[in-house]
Amino acid sequence: MKELEELNLPGELMYSKDHEWAKKEDDTIVIGITDYAQDQLGDIVFAEMPEVGSSFEQGEEFGTLESVKAVSEIYLPVSGEIIAINDALEDEPELINEDPYENWIVVVRPSKEEQFDKLLSREEYLETLTG
Amino acid sequence: MSDHKPLTTPLHQWHGRNHATMGNFSGYSMPLWYASGAKHEHINTIVKAGLFDTSHMSMLTLTGDSSFDLLQRTFSRDLRYCIGKPAAALHTGRAVYGMFFHEDGTVLDDAIITQLGENRYLLVVNAAMGGAVGRHLDEHRTSGCEIDEVTDEFGKIDLQGPAAGKILGSVLADAGAVFAGLSYFSCRGTLFGGDGQEVRCRDGTELLVSRTGYTGEFGFELFMRRDALVSIWEQLLAAGAGNGIVACGLAARDSLRTGAGLPLSHQDIGAWDFGTTPWSFVLPYDAGKAQFSKTFVGGAAVYDNLAQNYTYGFAGYDPRKIAHLHKAAVLDEGDKKIGVVTSCTTDMAIDRVDGTIFSIASPVSAGRPEAFSPRGLSCGFIRVDKALSPGEVVVLVEGKRRLTVEIRTDIRPHRTARRSMEKMV
Repeated sequence: MKELEELNLPGELMYSKDHEWAKKEDDTIVIGITDYAQDQLGDIVFAEMPEVGSSFEQGEEFGTLESVKAVSEIYLPVSGEIIAINDALEDEPELINEDPYENWIVVVRPSKEEQFDKLLSREEYLETLTG
Repeated sequence: MSDHKPLTTPLHQWHGRNHATMGNFSGYSMPLWYASGAKHEHINTIVKAGLFDTSHMSMLTLTGDSSFDLLQRTFSRDLRYCIGKPAAALHTGRAVYGMFFHEDGTVLDDAIITQLGENRYLLVVNAAMGGAVGRHLDEHRTSGCEIDEVTDEFGKIDLQGPAAGKILGSVLADAGAVFAGLSYFSCRGTLFGGDGQEVRCRDGTELLVSRTGYTGEFGFELFMRRDALVSIWEQLLAAGAGNGIVACGLAARDSLRTGAGLPLSHQDIGAWDFGTTPWSFVLPYDAGKAQFSKTFVGGAAVYDNLAQNYTYGFAGYDPRKIAHLHKAAVLDEGDKKIGVVTSCTTDMAIDRVDGTIFSIASPVSAGRPEAFSPRGLSCGFIRVDKALSPGEVVVLVEGKRRLTVEIRTDIRPHRTARRSMEKMV
Protein backbone atom coordinates (compact mmCIF):
# COMPACT_ATOMS: atom_id res chain seq x y z
CA MET A 1 0.00 0.00 0.00
CA LYS A 2 1.29 3.44 -0.91
CA GLU A 3 2.16 6.01 1.72
CA LEU A 4 0.33 9.33 1.35
CA GLU A 5 3.45 11.05 0.08
CA GLU A 6 3.83 8.41 -2.63
CA LEU A 7 0.39 9.15 -4.10
CA ASN A 8 0.20 10.77 -7.50
CA LEU A 9 -2.49 13.46 -7.24
CA PRO A 10 -2.14 15.95 -10.11
CA GLY A 11 -2.75 19.54 -9.02
CA GLU A 12 -4.78 20.49 -12.11
CA LEU A 13 -7.57 17.96 -11.37
CA MET A 14 -10.60 18.24 -9.09
CA TYR A 15 -11.48 15.41 -6.69
CA SER A 16 -14.45 13.92 -4.85
CA LYS A 17 -14.49 12.46 -1.36
CA ASP A 18 -15.48 9.15 -3.02
CA HIS A 19 -12.03 9.06 -4.68
CA GLU A 20 -12.98 10.07 -8.21
CA TRP A 21 -11.13 12.73 -10.16
CA ALA A 22 -12.71 15.14 -12.63
CA LYS A 23 -11.21 17.27 -15.40
CA LYS A 24 -12.99 19.89 -17.50
CA GLU A 25 -12.50 19.57 -21.25
CA ASP A 26 -14.51 22.23 -23.13
CA ASP A 27 -18.13 21.64 -22.09
CA THR A 28 -17.57 18.07 -20.89
CA ILE A 29 -16.03 16.53 -17.78
CA VAL A 30 -13.72 13.52 -17.85
CA ILE A 31 -14.00 11.19 -14.84
CA GLY A 32 -11.68 8.56 -13.39
CA ILE A 33 -10.59 7.17 -10.03
CA THR A 34 -7.65 8.47 -8.02
CA ASP A 35 -4.29 6.85 -7.43
CA TYR A 36 -5.40 6.33 -3.82
CA ALA A 37 -8.51 4.43 -4.96
CA GLN A 38 -6.69 2.15 -7.39
CA ASP A 39 -4.02 1.44 -4.76
CA GLN A 40 -6.65 0.56 -2.15
CA LEU A 41 -8.52 -1.69 -4.58
CA GLY A 42 -5.49 -3.64 -5.75
CA ASP A 43 -5.62 -5.42 -9.12
CA ILE A 44 -8.72 -4.37 -11.01
CA VAL A 45 -10.09 -7.33 -12.96
CA PHE A 46 -13.37 -6.01 -14.33
CA ALA A 47 -14.99 -2.65 -15.04
CA GLU A 48 -18.78 -2.55 -15.20
CA MET A 49 -19.68 0.53 -17.25
CA PRO A 50 -22.88 2.55 -17.71
CA GLU A 51 -24.69 2.87 -21.03
CA VAL A 52 -23.72 5.83 -23.15
CA GLY A 53 -26.70 8.20 -23.04
CA SER A 54 -27.70 7.32 -19.49
CA SER A 55 -27.92 10.09 -16.90
CA PHE A 56 -27.00 10.14 -13.22
CA GLU A 57 -27.27 12.55 -10.36
CA GLN A 58 -24.23 13.78 -8.47
CA GLY A 59 -23.08 11.09 -6.02
CA GLU A 60 -25.06 8.36 -7.78
CA GLU A 61 -23.44 5.02 -8.55
CA PHE A 62 -22.71 4.76 -12.29
CA GLY A 63 -20.60 1.62 -12.42
CA THR A 64 -18.47 -0.81 -10.45
CA LEU A 65 -14.83 -1.75 -10.44
CA GLU A 66 -14.06 -5.31 -9.55
CA SER A 67 -10.74 -5.93 -7.88
CA VAL A 68 -9.33 -9.18 -6.64
CA LYS A 69 -10.74 -8.70 -3.17
CA ALA A 70 -13.55 -6.21 -3.57
CA VAL A 71 -16.36 -4.84 -5.68
CA SER A 72 -16.23 -1.07 -5.50
CA GLU A 73 -19.00 1.23 -6.65
CA ILE A 74 -17.96 4.33 -8.56
CA TYR A 75 -19.99 7.48 -8.04
CA LEU A 76 -20.48 10.33 -10.45
CA PRO A 77 -18.95 13.52 -8.98
CA VAL A 78 -21.24 15.77 -11.05
CA SER A 79 -24.78 15.27 -12.39
CA GLY A 80 -25.03 14.69 -16.10
CA GLU A 81 -25.28 12.44 -19.10
CA ILE A 82 -22.65 9.83 -19.97
CA ILE A 83 -21.46 10.72 -23.47
CA ALA A 84 -18.48 8.35 -23.69
CA ILE A 85 -17.03 5.34 -21.89
CA ASN A 86 -13.46 4.13 -22.10
CA ASP A 87 -13.85 0.95 -24.17
CA ALA A 88 -10.24 -0.08 -23.59
CA LEU A 89 -11.11 -0.92 -19.99
CA GLU A 90 -13.42 -3.69 -21.12
CA ASP A 91 -10.50 -5.87 -22.18
CA GLU A 92 -7.80 -4.35 -19.99
CA PRO A 93 -9.31 -3.04 -16.74
CA GLU A 94 -5.84 -3.26 -15.19
CA LEU A 95 -4.93 -0.14 -17.20
CA ILE A 96 -6.50 1.80 -14.31
CA ASN A 97 -3.88 0.36 -11.96
CA GLU A 98 -1.11 1.24 -14.38
CA ASP A 99 -2.16 4.88 -14.76
CA PRO A 100 -5.48 5.99 -13.24
CA TYR A 101 -5.29 9.44 -14.88
CA GLU A 102 -4.36 8.45 -18.42
CA ASN A 103 -7.06 5.77 -18.23
CA TRP A 104 -10.24 7.73 -17.62
CA ILE A 105 -13.54 5.88 -17.11
CA VAL A 106 -16.35 8.06 -18.53
CA VAL A 107 -16.97 11.47 -20.09
CA VAL A 108 -19.99 13.38 -18.80
CA ARG A 109 -21.98 16.30 -20.18
CA PRO A 110 -22.78 18.07 -16.90
CA SER A 111 -26.32 19.24 -16.20
CA LYS A 112 -25.28 21.46 -13.29
CA GLU A 113 -21.99 23.07 -14.22
CA GLU A 114 -21.53 24.76 -10.85
CA GLN A 115 -21.03 21.34 -9.21
CA PHE A 116 -17.60 21.00 -10.81
CA ASP A 117 -16.23 24.13 -9.18
CA LYS A 118 -17.31 22.90 -5.76
CA LEU A 119 -15.32 19.65 -6.01
CA LEU A 120 -12.19 19.28 -3.89
CA SER A 121 -8.80 20.65 -4.82
CA ARG A 122 -5.75 18.37 -4.54
CA GLU A 123 -5.02 19.79 -1.08
CA GLU A 124 -8.62 19.44 0.13
CA TYR A 125 -8.73 15.85 -1.13
CA LEU A 126 -5.45 15.01 0.59
CA GLU A 127 -6.96 16.36 3.81
CA THR A 128 -9.85 13.89 3.54
CA LEU A 129 -7.27 11.08 3.30
CA THR A 130 -5.32 12.21 6.36
CA GLY A 131 -8.48 13.11 8.31
CA MET B 1 -10.35 -10.36 18.39
CA SER B 2 -10.42 -6.81 17.11
CA ASP B 3 -9.65 -5.37 20.54
CA HIS B 4 -6.35 -7.22 20.60
CA LYS B 5 -3.17 -6.45 18.78
CA PRO B 6 -3.03 -8.93 15.90
CA LEU B 7 -0.62 -11.82 16.11
CA THR B 8 2.24 -11.90 13.62
CA THR B 9 4.41 -14.56 12.03
CA PRO B 10 8.23 -14.48 12.05
CA LEU B 11 8.05 -13.11 8.48
CA HIS B 12 6.10 -10.02 9.55
CA GLN B 13 9.00 -7.62 9.09
CA TRP B 14 9.86 -9.19 5.74
CA HIS B 15 6.29 -8.58 4.58
CA GLY B 16 6.55 -4.94 5.62
CA ARG B 17 9.90 -4.42 3.91
CA ASN B 18 8.44 -5.90 0.73
CA HIS B 19 5.42 -3.57 0.61
CA ALA B 20 2.78 -6.13 1.41
CA THR B 21 -0.77 -4.90 1.78
CA MET B 22 -1.64 -6.45 5.13
CA GLY B 23 -4.98 -7.63 6.42
CA ASN B 24 -6.34 -9.28 9.53
CA PHE B 25 -7.11 -13.00 9.22
CA SER B 26 -8.18 -15.11 12.20
CA GLY B 27 -6.40 -12.75 14.57
CA TYR B 28 -3.17 -12.65 12.55
CA SER B 29 -1.81 -9.74 10.55
CA MET B 30 -1.08 -11.40 7.21
CA PRO B 31 -0.05 -10.25 3.72
CA LEU B 32 -2.99 -9.97 1.29
CA TRP B 33 -0.74 -9.23 -1.68
CA TYR B 34 2.68 -7.78 -2.43
CA ALA B 35 3.70 -5.06 -4.86
CA SER B 36 3.14 -7.11 -8.02
CA GLY B 37 -0.51 -7.66 -7.10
CA ALA B 38 -2.76 -10.64 -6.41
CA LYS B 39 -3.57 -11.33 -10.05
CA HIS B 40 0.07 -11.78 -10.92
CA GLU B 41 0.61 -13.91 -7.80
CA HIS B 42 -2.35 -16.14 -8.72
CA ILE B 43 -1.32 -16.69 -12.33
CA ASN B 44 2.36 -16.99 -11.52
CA THR B 45 1.67 -19.80 -9.04
CA ILE B 46 -0.13 -21.74 -11.78
CA VAL B 47 2.55 -21.32 -14.43
CA LYS B 48 5.73 -20.96 -12.31
CA ALA B 49 5.87 -20.85 -8.52
CA GLY B 50 4.48 -18.98 -5.53
CA LEU B 51 5.70 -18.78 -1.94
CA PHE B 52 3.19 -18.41 0.89
CA ASP B 53 3.74 -17.61 4.56
CA THR B 54 1.37 -20.03 6.30
CA SER B 55 2.81 -19.93 9.81
CA HIS B 56 -0.53 -18.67 11.12
CA MET B 57 -1.88 -22.21 10.87
CA SER B 58 -2.06 -24.23 14.07
CA MET B 59 -0.19 -27.49 14.62
CA LEU B 60 -0.69 -30.25 17.15
CA THR B 61 1.12 -33.50 17.73
CA LEU B 62 -0.50 -36.67 19.04
CA THR B 63 1.72 -39.30 20.58
CA GLY B 64 1.15 -42.50 22.50
CA ASP B 65 -0.46 -45.92 22.23
CA SER B 66 -4.03 -44.68 22.06
CA SER B 67 -3.45 -41.91 19.47
CA PHE B 68 -4.81 -44.04 16.65
CA ASP B 69 -7.93 -44.88 18.63
CA LEU B 70 -8.49 -41.22 19.50
CA LEU B 71 -8.31 -40.24 15.82
CA GLN B 72 -10.59 -43.11 14.85
CA ARG B 73 -13.13 -41.84 17.40
CA THR B 74 -12.91 -38.17 16.39
CA PHE B 75 -11.65 -37.74 12.81
CA SER B 76 -13.97 -38.16 9.83
CA ARG B 77 -11.65 -40.47 7.89
CA ASP B 78 -11.32 -44.15 8.70
CA LEU B 79 -7.54 -44.37 9.08
CA ARG B 80 -7.68 -48.05 8.20
CA TYR B 81 -9.00 -47.31 4.70
CA CYS B 82 -8.03 -43.85 3.50
CA ILE B 83 -4.99 -44.04 1.24
CA GLY B 84 -5.43 -44.61 -2.48
CA LYS B 85 -7.65 -47.08 -4.30
CA PRO B 86 -8.23 -49.77 -3.16
CA ALA B 87 -8.13 -47.98 0.15
CA ALA B 88 -5.15 -48.83 2.34
CA ALA B 89 -4.39 -47.78 5.91
CA LEU B 90 -2.68 -44.51 6.81
CA HIS B 91 0.98 -45.25 7.49
CA THR B 92 4.19 -43.43 8.31
CA GLY B 93 5.01 -40.78 5.72
CA ARG B 94 1.46 -40.38 4.48
CA ALA B 95 -1.11 -37.66 5.11
CA VAL B 96 -4.89 -37.50 4.89
CA TYR B 97 -7.44 -34.66 4.81
CA GLY B 98 -10.66 -34.73 6.80
CA MET B 99 -12.87 -33.05 9.37
CA PHE B 100 -13.44 -32.96 13.09
CA PHE B 101 -17.16 -32.81 13.80
CA HIS B 102 -19.09 -31.84 16.90
CA GLU B 103 -21.49 -34.45 18.23
CA ASP B 104 -24.37 -32.62 16.47
CA GLY B 105 -22.79 -33.07 13.04
CA THR B 106 -21.53 -29.51 12.60
CA VAL B 107 -17.89 -28.95 11.68
CA LEU B 108 -15.35 -27.94 14.35
CA ASP B 109 -12.51 -27.63 11.82
CA ASP B 110 -10.84 -29.39 8.93
CA ALA B 111 -7.35 -30.85 9.23
CA ILE B 112 -4.53 -32.62 7.48
CA ILE B 113 -3.24 -35.48 9.59
CA THR B 114 0.21 -36.85 8.86
CA GLN B 115 1.47 -40.08 10.35
CA LEU B 116 5.02 -39.42 11.56
CA GLY B 117 5.75 -42.85 13.02
CA GLU B 118 4.22 -45.55 15.13
CA ASN B 119 1.69 -43.87 17.45
CA ARG B 120 2.80 -40.41 16.36
CA TYR B 121 0.77 -37.94 14.29
CA LEU B 122 0.97 -34.30 13.18
CA LEU B 123 -2.31 -32.38 12.88
CA VAL B 124 -2.42 -29.12 10.93
CA VAL B 125 -5.62 -27.19 11.57
CA ASN B 126 -6.69 -23.63 10.85
CA ALA B 127 -5.31 -20.40 12.27
CA ALA B 128 -6.27 -19.91 15.92
CA MET B 129 -7.97 -23.33 16.01
CA GLY B 130 -5.20 -25.24 17.81
CA GLY B 131 -6.75 -24.59 21.21
CA ALA B 132 -10.28 -25.58 20.23
CA VAL B 133 -9.22 -28.75 18.41
CA GLY B 134 -6.85 -29.64 21.26
CA ARG B 135 -9.65 -29.29 23.83
CA HIS B 136 -12.03 -31.29 21.66
CA LEU B 137 -9.51 -34.12 21.38
CA ASP B 138 -8.79 -33.90 25.09
CA GLU B 139 -12.48 -34.42 25.87
CA HIS B 140 -12.45 -37.67 23.94
CA ARG B 141 -8.98 -38.77 25.04
CA THR B 142 -8.23 -41.90 27.02
CA SER B 143 -4.95 -42.54 28.82
CA GLY B 144 -1.99 -43.30 26.61
CA CYS B 145 -2.26 -40.31 24.31
CA GLU B 146 -0.51 -36.98 24.66
CA ILE B 147 -1.84 -33.92 22.79
CA ASP B 148 0.58 -31.01 22.34
CA GLU B 149 0.02 -27.78 20.48
CA VAL B 150 3.35 -26.89 18.81
CA THR B 151 2.25 -23.82 16.80
CA ASP B 152 4.65 -21.53 18.67
CA GLU B 153 7.68 -23.74 18.06
CA PHE B 154 7.27 -24.51 14.38
CA GLY B 155 6.35 -22.61 11.24
CA LYS B 156 5.25 -23.44 7.73
CA ILE B 157 5.99 -22.11 4.26
CA ASP B 158 4.00 -23.31 1.24
CA LEU B 159 5.96 -23.55 -2.01
CA GLN B 160 3.44 -24.15 -4.79
CA GLY B 161 3.50 -24.28 -8.57
CA PRO B 162 5.03 -26.38 -11.33
CA ALA B 163 8.56 -25.07 -10.65
CA ALA B 164 8.34 -25.89 -6.92
CA GLY B 165 10.29 -29.14 -7.23
CA LYS B 166 13.23 -27.58 -9.03
CA ILE B 167 13.35 -24.72 -6.54
CA LEU B 168 13.12 -26.87 -3.42
CA GLY B 169 15.60 -29.32 -4.92
CA SER B 170 18.31 -26.69 -5.06
CA VAL B 171 17.85 -25.83 -1.38
CA LEU B 172 17.82 -29.41 -0.06
CA ALA B 173 21.01 -31.26 0.84
CA ASP B 174 19.89 -34.52 -0.81
CA ALA B 175 16.92 -33.74 -3.03
CA GLY B 176 17.09 -37.06 -4.85
CA ALA B 177 16.49 -39.04 -1.67
CA VAL B 178 13.71 -36.71 -0.49
CA PHE B 179 11.86 -36.66 -3.79
CA ALA B 180 12.08 -40.38 -4.64
CA GLY B 181 8.54 -41.73 -4.56
CA LEU B 182 7.20 -38.61 -2.84
CA SER B 183 3.61 -38.94 -4.04
CA TYR B 184 0.71 -36.54 -3.47
CA PHE B 185 -0.13 -36.37 0.27
CA SER B 186 3.08 -38.00 1.40
CA CYS B 187 5.94 -36.51 3.37
CA ARG B 188 9.57 -36.93 4.43
CA GLY B 189 11.39 -35.83 7.56
CA THR B 190 11.72 -36.35 11.28
CA LEU B 191 11.35 -32.72 12.37
CA PHE B 192 8.49 -33.66 14.72
CA GLY B 193 10.12 -36.95 15.73
CA GLY B 194 9.01 -40.29 14.40
CA ASP B 195 10.42 -42.70 11.88
CA GLY B 196 11.81 -42.29 8.43
CA GLN B 197 14.57 -40.27 6.87
CA GLU B 198 15.79 -36.95 8.20
CA VAL B 199 15.51 -34.05 5.74
CA ARG B 200 18.00 -31.21 5.83
CA CYS B 201 18.71 -28.17 3.70
CA ARG B 202 22.21 -27.44 2.43
CA ASP B 203 22.68 -25.07 5.37
CA GLY B 204 21.72 -27.82 7.83
CA THR B 205 18.19 -26.59 8.61
CA GLU B 206 15.89 -29.50 9.33
CA LEU B 207 12.57 -29.71 7.44
CA LEU B 208 9.48 -31.82 7.14
CA VAL B 209 8.60 -31.80 3.43
CA SER B 210 4.98 -32.61 2.60
CA ARG B 211 3.47 -32.92 -0.90
CA THR B 212 0.40 -30.96 0.10
CA GLY B 213 -0.91 -27.42 -0.25
CA TYR B 214 -3.97 -25.30 -0.71
CA THR B 215 -3.73 -24.12 -4.30
CA GLY B 216 -4.57 -27.15 -6.41
CA GLU B 217 -1.10 -26.92 -7.90
CA PHE B 218 1.98 -29.09 -7.55
CA GLY B 219 4.06 -28.19 -4.54
CA PHE B 220 4.99 -28.58 -0.93
CA GLU B 221 4.20 -27.54 2.58
CA LEU B 222 7.55 -27.05 4.32
CA PHE B 223 7.65 -27.28 8.10
CA MET B 224 10.60 -25.99 10.12
CA ARG B 225 11.52 -24.54 13.48
CA ARG B 226 10.13 -21.04 13.78
CA ASP B 227 13.56 -19.40 14.00
CA ALA B 228 14.53 -20.85 10.61
CA LEU B 229 11.55 -19.39 8.70
CA VAL B 230 13.05 -16.12 7.48
CA SER B 231 16.27 -17.75 6.29
CA ILE B 232 14.52 -20.58 4.42
CA TRP B 233 12.01 -18.13 2.93
CA GLU B 234 14.84 -16.01 1.55
CA GLN B 235 16.77 -19.06 0.33
CA LEU B 236 13.70 -20.28 -1.58
CA LEU B 237 13.14 -16.86 -3.15
CA ALA B 238 16.79 -16.69 -4.19
CA ALA B 239 16.75 -20.27 -5.49
CA GLY B 240 13.56 -19.59 -7.44
CA ALA B 241 14.60 -16.26 -8.95
CA GLY B 242 15.45 -17.93 -12.26
CA ASN B 243 12.19 -19.89 -12.16
CA GLY B 244 10.00 -16.84 -11.69
CA ILE B 245 9.03 -17.42 -8.05
CA VAL B 246 6.99 -14.67 -6.34
CA ALA B 247 5.88 -14.20 -2.76
CA CYS B 248 2.08 -14.47 -2.58
CA GLY B 249 -0.48 -13.22 -0.09
CA LEU B 250 -3.78 -14.54 1.19
CA ALA B 251 -5.80 -13.07 -1.70
CA ALA B 252 -4.05 -15.29 -4.24
CA ARG B 253 -4.22 -18.19 -1.81
CA ASP B 254 -7.99 -17.72 -1.60
CA SER B 255 -8.58 -17.43 -5.36
CA LEU B 256 -6.29 -20.40 -6.08
CA ARG B 257 -8.01 -22.67 -3.55
CA THR B 258 -11.47 -21.66 -4.71
CA GLY B 259 -10.66 -22.44 -8.34
CA ALA B 260 -9.26 -25.75 -7.13
CA GLY B 261 -12.54 -26.58 -5.37
CA LEU B 262 -11.08 -26.56 -1.85
CA PRO B 263 -13.19 -25.36 1.10
CA LEU B 264 -12.27 -22.63 3.57
CA SER B 265 -13.06 -23.73 7.11
CA HIS B 266 -15.66 -21.58 8.91
CA GLN B 267 -16.83 -20.26 5.55
CA ASP B 268 -17.66 -23.19 3.25
CA ILE B 269 -17.78 -25.72 6.09
CA GLY B 270 -18.46 -24.83 9.69
CA ALA B 271 -20.99 -24.48 12.45
CA TRP B 272 -23.96 -25.85 10.50
CA ASP B 273 -25.08 -29.28 9.33
CA PHE B 274 -22.43 -30.65 7.01
CA GLY B 275 -25.01 -31.93 4.52
CA THR B 276 -24.01 -33.07 1.07
CA THR B 277 -20.87 -31.35 -0.18
CA PRO B 278 -18.13 -31.66 -2.81
CA TRP B 279 -16.04 -32.99 0.07
CA SER B 280 -18.05 -36.11 0.83
CA PHE B 281 -14.81 -38.08 0.39
CA VAL B 282 -13.94 -37.04 3.94
CA LEU B 283 -16.73 -39.29 5.23
CA PRO B 284 -15.79 -42.89 6.03
CA TYR B 285 -18.12 -44.62 3.60
CA ASP B 286 -17.67 -48.35 3.34
CA ALA B 287 -17.00 -50.03 0.00
CA GLY B 288 -20.72 -50.09 -0.78
CA LYS B 289 -20.92 -46.28 -0.31
CA ALA B 290 -24.05 -46.74 1.79
CA GLN B 291 -22.84 -46.93 5.39
CA PHE B 292 -19.93 -45.58 7.39
CA SER B 293 -17.21 -48.09 8.19
CA LYS B 294 -16.74 -46.77 11.72
CA THR B 295 -18.52 -44.74 14.38
CA PHE B 296 -17.02 -41.38 15.26
CA VAL B 297 -17.96 -38.15 17.03
CA GLY B 298 -20.69 -36.48 15.01
CA GLY B 299 -20.87 -39.33 12.52
CA ALA B 300 -24.45 -40.37 13.27
CA ALA B 301 -25.72 -36.80 12.97
CA VAL B 302 -23.75 -36.20 9.77
CA TYR B 303 -25.27 -39.35 8.29
CA ASP B 304 -28.81 -38.38 9.32
CA ASN B 305 -28.42 -34.83 7.98
CA LEU B 306 -26.98 -35.54 4.54
CA ALA B 307 -30.16 -34.14 2.94
CA GLN B 308 -30.32 -31.15 5.30
CA ASN B 309 -28.48 -28.90 2.85
CA TYR B 310 -26.32 -29.12 -0.27
CA THR B 311 -23.04 -27.34 -0.96
CA TYR B 312 -21.93 -26.94 -4.58
CA GLY B 313 -19.08 -25.34 -6.47
CA PHE B 314 -19.98 -22.85 -9.17
CA ALA B 315 -18.36 -20.85 -11.94
CA GLY B 316 -19.71 -17.69 -13.52
CA TYR B 317 -19.45 -16.34 -17.03
CA ASP B 318 -17.28 -13.27 -16.38
CA PRO B 319 -15.06 -11.97 -13.54
CA ARG B 320 -17.86 -10.26 -11.61
CA LYS B 321 -18.33 -11.59 -8.11
CA ILE B 322 -20.31 -11.20 -4.91
CA ALA B 323 -18.39 -8.88 -2.60
CA HIS B 324 -20.42 -9.11 0.60
CA LEU B 325 -21.35 -12.72 1.15
CA HIS B 326 -23.69 -12.00 4.07
CA LYS B 327 -25.79 -9.69 1.88
CA ALA B 328 -26.11 -12.19 -0.97
CA ALA B 329 -28.63 -14.93 -1.73
CA VAL B 330 -28.96 -17.76 -4.22
CA LEU B 331 -32.09 -17.81 -6.40
CA ASP B 332 -33.33 -20.73 -8.48
CA GLU B 333 -34.73 -20.34 -11.99
CA GLY B 334 -38.07 -19.31 -10.56
CA ASP B 335 -36.38 -16.50 -8.55
CA LYS B 336 -37.06 -18.38 -5.31
CA LYS B 337 -34.40 -18.00 -2.63
CA ILE B 338 -32.76 -21.36 -2.10
CA GLY B 339 -29.59 -20.58 -0.17
CA VAL B 340 -26.48 -18.58 0.56
CA VAL B 341 -23.12 -17.86 -1.06
CA THR B 342 -20.28 -19.17 1.11
CA SER B 343 -17.29 -18.16 -1.06
CA CYS B 344 -16.98 -16.04 -4.17
CA THR B 345 -13.79 -14.92 -5.82
CA THR B 346 -12.36 -14.53 -9.31
CA ASP B 347 -10.04 -17.20 -10.68
CA MET B 348 -8.04 -14.95 -12.97
CA ALA B 349 -6.36 -17.81 -14.83
CA ILE B 350 -9.53 -19.18 -16.45
CA ASP B 351 -12.12 -18.18 -19.01
CA ARG B 352 -14.80 -19.76 -21.13
CA VAL B 353 -14.30 -20.52 -24.81
CA ASP B 354 -17.66 -21.50 -26.36
CA GLY B 355 -18.84 -22.48 -22.91
CA THR B 356 -15.89 -24.70 -22.01
CA ILE B 357 -13.60 -23.48 -19.24
CA PHE B 358 -9.88 -23.40 -20.01
CA SER B 359 -6.96 -22.36 -17.84
CA ILE B 360 -3.78 -20.65 -18.93
CA ALA B 361 -2.20 -23.99 -17.97
CA SER B 362 -4.49 -25.98 -20.28
CA PRO B 363 -2.54 -27.55 -23.14
CA VAL B 364 -3.48 -26.54 -26.67
CA SER B 365 -3.98 -30.25 -27.31
CA ALA B 366 -6.90 -30.12 -24.84
CA GLY B 367 -8.65 -27.61 -27.04
CA ARG B 368 -7.36 -24.36 -25.58
CA PRO B 369 -7.04 -21.73 -28.33
CA GLU B 370 -3.41 -20.79 -29.03
CA ALA B 371 -4.20 -17.15 -28.37
CA PHE B 372 -5.83 -17.26 -24.96
CA SER B 373 -5.76 -14.40 -22.51
CA PRO B 374 -8.34 -15.16 -19.83
CA ARG B 375 -10.31 -12.33 -18.24
CA GLY B 376 -11.07 -14.53 -15.24
CA LEU B 377 -14.30 -16.12 -14.03
CA SER B 378 -16.08 -15.73 -10.74
CA CYS B 379 -16.25 -18.97 -8.79
CA GLY B 380 -16.96 -20.22 -5.33
CA PHE B 381 -19.44 -22.25 -3.32
CA ILE B 382 -23.13 -22.01 -2.46
CA ARG B 383 -25.11 -23.81 0.22
CA VAL B 384 -28.71 -24.44 -0.82
CA ASP B 385 -31.73 -26.30 0.49
CA LYS B 386 -32.32 -28.48 -2.56
CA ALA B 387 -30.25 -30.81 -4.70
CA LEU B 388 -28.90 -29.36 -7.95
CA SER B 389 -27.11 -31.01 -10.86
CA PRO B 390 -23.87 -29.98 -12.55
CA GLY B 391 -24.65 -27.69 -15.48
CA GLU B 392 -27.73 -26.17 -13.83
CA VAL B 393 -27.66 -22.40 -13.48
CA VAL B 394 -28.64 -20.35 -10.46
CA VAL B 395 -28.57 -16.60 -9.86
CA LEU B 396 -26.51 -14.97 -7.12
CA VAL B 397 -27.98 -11.67 -5.99
CA GLU B 398 -26.43 -8.92 -3.93
CA GLY B 399 -28.23 -5.59 -4.04
CA LYS B 400 -28.65 -4.64 -7.68
CA ARG B 401 -26.13 -7.18 -8.86
CA ARG B 402 -27.42 -10.44 -10.34
CA LEU B 403 -24.85 -12.99 -11.43
CA THR B 404 -25.83 -16.10 -13.35
CA VAL B 405 -23.52 -18.97 -12.44
CA GLU B 406 -23.27 -22.62 -13.37
CA ILE B 407 -23.12 -25.47 -10.84
CA ARG B 408 -19.80 -27.25 -11.37
CA THR B 409 -18.06 -30.31 -9.96
CA ASP B 410 -14.74 -28.82 -11.08
CA ILE B 411 -13.72 -25.23 -11.74
CA ARG B 412 -10.10 -24.62 -12.88
CA PRO B 413 -9.02 -27.41 -15.24
CA HIS B 414 -5.55 -28.86 -15.72
CA ARG B 415 -4.30 -28.37 -12.20
CA THR B 416 -0.94 -29.88 -11.33
CA ALA B 417 -1.29 -30.93 -7.65
CA ARG B 418 -1.38 -34.65 -8.34
CA ARG B 419 1.36 -34.86 -10.96
CA SER B 420 4.18 -37.27 -10.18
CA MET B 421 7.49 -35.96 -8.83
CA GLU B 422 9.27 -37.56 -11.76
CA LYS B 423 7.37 -35.34 -14.20
CA MET B 424 7.99 -32.19 -12.20
CA VAL B 425 11.73 -32.21 -11.41
